[in-house]
Amino acid sequence: MTRTTMSPQLRRRENISGYLFLLPSLIFFIGFVVVPMIMCVVTSFFDANMNMNTPDKFIGFANYVELWKDPVFLKALVNTFIIVLVSVPFVCIFSLWVASAIYKMKEGLLSFFRIVFYLPVVTGSVAVTVVWKWMYNNYYGIFNYLFKNVGLIDQNINWLGDPRFALACIIIILLTTSVGQPIVLYVSALSNVDQSLVEAAEVDGATNLQVFWRIKWPQIMPTTLYILVITTINSFQCFALIQLLTSGGPNYATETVMYYIYYTAFKLYRFGYGNAMGVILAIFIGILSAIQFRLAREK
Amino acid sequence: MSEVVIKNLKKIYDNKVTAVHDVNIEIKDKEFIVLVGPSGCGKSTTLRMVAGLEEISDGELYIDGKLVNDVAPKDRDIAMVFQSYALYPHMTVYENMAFALKLRKTPKAEIDRKVKEVAAILDITQYLNRKPKALSGGQRQRVAIGRAMVRDPKVFLMDEPLSNLDAKLRNQMRAEIIKLRQRINTTFMYVTHDQTEAMTLGDRIVIMKDGFVNQIGTPQEVFNKPVNLFVAGFIGMPVMNFFDSCKLLLENGVYYAEIRGVRFELSAFQQKALKENGVQPCAIVAGIRPQHITVGDGELKAVVEVSEMMGSEYNIHAKSGEDEVVMVIPTVGLETDVSMGATVNFNTQPELIQLFDKETGNNLIWYDADSAAKNEPVCKQYL
Repeated sequence: MTRTTMSPQLRRRENISGYLFLLPSLIFFIGFVVVPMIMCVVTSFFDANMNMNTPDKFIGFANYVELWKDPVFLKALVNTFIIVLVSVPFVCIFSLWVASAIYKMKEGLLSFFRIVFYLPVVTGSVAVTVVWKWMYNNYYGIFNYLFKNVGLIDQNINWLGDPRFALACIIIILLTTSVGQPIVLYVSALSNVDQSLVEAAEVDGATNLQVFWRIKWPQIMPTTLYILVITTINSFQCFALIQLLTSGGPNYATETVMYYIYYTAFKLYRFGYGNAMGVILAIFIGILSAIQFRLAREK
Repeated sequence: MSEVVIKNLKKIYDNKVTAVHDVNIEIKDKEFIVLVGPSGCGKSTTLRMVAGLEEISDGELYIDGKLVNDVAPKDRDIAMVFQSYALYPHMTVYENMAFALKLRKTPKAEIDRKVKEVAAILDITQYLNRKPKALSGGQRQRVAIGRAMVRDPKVFLMDEPLSNLDAKLRNQMRAEIIKLRQRINTTFMYVTHDQTEAMTLGDRIVIMKDGFVNQIGTPQEVFNKPVNLFVAGFIGMPVMNFFDSCKLLLENGVYYAEIRGVRFELSAFQQKALKENGVQPCAIVAGIRPQHITVGDGELKAVVEVSEMMGSEYNIHAKSGEDEVVMVIPTVGLETDVSMGATVNFNTQPELIQLFDKETGNNLIWYDADSAAKNEPVCKQYL
C-alpha cells in the first residue's frame, strides 16, 4: 500500500488527534495495569503489610528466598502445574475434536452445540460452582448416587474432602468451564480454512487425516496458539473454584499459587511476600507462553 | 489412453436447483476441450464432478474406460488447477509442487528431479524456496500449473486459471498454456467464461448455458456454424449483429432473406440445407458478424454513432432503424465517410448471413437436434 505524503503540519495535527483519542484508555491502562504491576514488583522487595504505623522495610530478595523454603508454596506450585499440564492439552484436543465434528453441521444444529458448550462460560462461576458442589456432595451428591447404583463404589466418597480426589474434582470443573470458548474459536477457524486448499489436497491424493494434519492444522495454528496461551493463563490463575469449594484444602491438596497469593496477602497481610509469589507466577506464565509461541512458529 | 466420457450427467443440489442437465461429452485421449459459458451455466460444476469434488446426482462418468462416479478424487489420477491457485500458503513453492508426490511415497531423488524439471520448464526455478505470498499473480499461476504437471496425471483439469490475472498477463499465460500443452501431451478439460481463451486454446469447445450444452464443436465450427442465437452471440468479438423483424421468404422454390426490406438471395448450400430441413417461410432474426460487413455499397443504411480507429481497422457502432450494428472495416482503401453522424450504406455476402428462428432462436441452417439443448422444432413462427 502506498503511503500518502502529508505535510509536516498536517502529520503533526493527525498525530495529536490520534493521541487524544488514545488518552482515556491510556490513562486507564497506566493507572490500573502498569502502575500496579510496577508496585507489585517493587513491593515484593519489602516486608510490606500496608499498616501505616509500621512502615514497609526493604528486605531485598528475602521474600524470594523464603518462597523456595515454604512447603505450602511449593505444594501450591506443584498443584498449579498439575492443573496446567492436565487442562491445557485436554482443552485443546477436546475442543478441536468437538469443533471438527460440528463445524460442518447445518446452522441450527451448530448453534445448538455452540450454546451447549458455551453455556458454562456465560453462566456465573458462583452458580456453576454451587451446582458442582451439590453434585460432589458427600451425602446427597449425584456422583455418589450414580456410582453406588452401578456398583463402582461401596460407600459414599467425600470427593472434595478427600486429598486423593479433591484436585481431580477441581480440574474436572475447570475443564467444563474452559472448553466453551476454544470450541467456538475452533469452529470459526475451521470454517475459515480456504476450501479450495482442502480440495486441492484431495485432488493431490491426500486422505482425510492428511488433509487435516497437512492443510487444516497449519491454517488453524494461530487459533491454537491463542487457545494454548489463554488456557495456560486461566489454568495458572485458577482461584474462584478453590475459594468457593475447598479453600485450598484438604491439607493443601487443592492449594494453588493464585489462592495462596490471595491468602498470604489478604488473610495474613503479608503483601510483599504475596507479591513475590505473583512475580514468580507471572514469570512462569511468560516462559510457558514464550515456549508455545516458539514451538508454533517453528511448526 | 485417457479418454473422459460424460454420459447424461446431472447435478441437482439439496434445494432442488438443477445446475447441470443431462450433459453428454466424449473427450478423446490427449484432446484439449474447453467448457465455456456465462456465469452460472454449470461449466465449473461439470468440471468439479469430473474432479470428484462435487457429487454426481445422475448419469455416468468414465475416465480411461472406468466408471468413476463413486471414486474419491485422490484415486481418479487427475490434477487440477484452481481459479484461486489454491497454493498451500505454509509450504514453499518446492513443497507445494512435491506435495502430491510425497503423498504417493515417491522416492526423494525422483521428487527432486521432477520438481526441478517442471520448475525449469515453467521458469520458476529461482522461486522454489519462496512461499506463495512472496510471488506475483503470474508466478503463482505457474506454480499452480507446475504442481499439477509433476504428477503426470491422466486428465488435467483447469478451472478458470487465468481469470485472476490482468489482461496482459492473461494473454502471455494463454500463449504459455498453448506451448505447455504440446509438452504435456495429456487430456485437458479447461473451464473459462472468456470466449477468446476458448477459441485459442480448445481443440473443441463446449458451449453451455443454464446447465445445458448448447453446442460442441471446433472453434471454426462454433464460429461459422452456431446452432442458435446464444452461441452466435457468445462466440466472436465483437459480437454478431442481430437484425430483428426479418423474414425468410420462399418464391418459386428459391429462399430469400429479407433484412430491413432488402432482399438477399441465399446461396446454394443455404438453399439446400433449408430445403432438407423442410423450412417454411417464417419470421427470422438475421445474424451478420461485424467482420462480414462491407461499407460503401448495398442498400442497407445505417447512421454512424461512434467510430473507433483501432489502427488497421475501424470499429463502427451504427444504428440501422432500431437495430444496433457494429462493423469492423479495414482502414486500407476505405473511401467512405465513417465519421460520427454520417450515413453509410452497408452490405454483406448472403452466404455469411446466419438465419435464426425468431421464437426458438435455432439456426435454420445449422440446427442439430441431436446436439442442441432442447429438442424443439427448427422453426415455430411460420409466416
